[in-house]
Amino acid sequence: MHKIADIEIQHDIMLANRKLAKKNQKILDNANVFAVDFLGAIGSGKTSLIEKLIQEMDYPVAVIAGDVISKFDAGRFEKYNVPVIGLNTGKECHLDSHLVEHALHDLPLDEVDILFIENVGNLICPVDFDLGSHIRVVVISVSEGDDTVEKHPLIFKDADLVVINKVDIAAAVGADEDKMVEDVKKINPDVQVIKTSLKENKGLSEIIESLHKFMAE
Amino acid sequence: MHELSMADAIVKTVIEAAEKNDAIEVLEVTVELGQITLLNPEQLKFMLEVLSEDTIVSGAKFNMEEVPVEIECFSCGFKGKADTDELDHYVPIINCPECEERNLNITAGRECNVKNIKIEKSDEDAQDS
Ligand SMILES: Nc1nc2c(ncn2[C@@H]2O[C@H](COP(=O)(O)OP(=O)(O)OP(=O)(O)O)[C@@H](O)[C@H]2O)c(=O)[nH]1
Ligand SMILES: [Mg+2]
Ligand SMILES: [Zn+2]
Ligand SMILES: [Zn+2]
Ligand SMILES: [Zn+2]
Ligand SMILES: [Zn+2]
Repeated sequence: MHKIADIEIQHDIMLANRKLAKKNQKILDNANVFAVDFLGAIGSGKTSLIEKLIQEMDYPVAVIAGDVISKFDAGRFEKYNVPVIGLNTGKECHLDSHLVEHALHDLPLDEVDILFIENVGNLICPVDFDLGSHIRVVVISVSEGDDTVEKHPLIFKDADLVVINKVDIAAAVGADEDKMVEDVKKINPDVQVIKTSLKENKGLSEIIESLHKFMAE
Repeated sequence: MHELSMADAIVKTVIEAAEKNDAIEVLEVTVELGQITLLNPEQLKFMLEVLSEDTIVSGAKFNMEEVPVEIECFSCGFKGKADTDELDHYVPIINCPECEERNLNITAGRECNVKNIKIEKSDEDAQDS
């Protein structure tokens, strides 16, 4: 005879990642590093924005560059002589806190004030995976279409700052950037939304000002 | 999409619990999936079945239970289930069902929880029977 037993497990896979994220944040706090997770659509301008921030902000910076298989973005950051870790997610569509924990161990955190993390270009999967960053910045551009926000509400609900990039080509692609701002506000009424053209250096100082505010908190 | 890696983590969790409890077979696995967790239940279930093959979990029945969205409203203090009926799937994260305000916190509906398993154990005198 065999007996049947019910075994209570209650192991939340999502919670496991969130716990690890909290641990990452502790590591960052102990080293006095302010970490920013940049999420957004493919090609929206995440790398371009981080490149500008490295040049314009007067802080020692480190970067974690998440990419599916390539090291292209990591290579772009290395040109600025800052510590860079390229994380390849392989099949995965998002960074998770376990991968980031490894990168944190490999970075000279004591020599750094700000850590920029470029997540994999994807408006869906990274949402459920906190990394331990202090804030999340969502970068989209007008070229994804002005219904992007409505289609992907969750990523905006969790955002601490939203950047709508490439406004220089809004007319050309027939997108209404102000509608995108309104859509974000419907989902996350208190979040600051900044319209930028990184190509024309528009909106960059507002982003820097906003980051300073978050760092002072 | 990351259903595969999530399924892998679930199967590993189940195998670990089954072995710890001296299971000879896993009969059922119940997974709670939040209504707005960004995972497709059908795809996840399929991956679970595939990954279970040739393990102690092989052949188990996977029960996927949906966890409704619950919110906490900062404006009126409402705490509870968001009204998801006739609305678009994302509206519950936007409006409080009581006061319609948008300043709210999501307190449930984002989980991927391995809740429990039903196993078959060989009891002490199994050899004799
Ligand atoms: N017109 C215009 N082009 C821009 C702007 N910002 C970035 N780009 C261009 O958009 C392209 C993609 O920019 P990236 O910074 O590589 O975008 P990304 O989000 O890092 O891309 P992935 O990492 O591949 O997801 C590049 O060719 C940039 O030159 C802008 O404000 N206006
Ligand atoms: Mg990039
Ligand atoms: Zn993913
Ligand atoms: Zn590891
Ligand atoms: Zn995914
Ligand atoms: Zn309310």
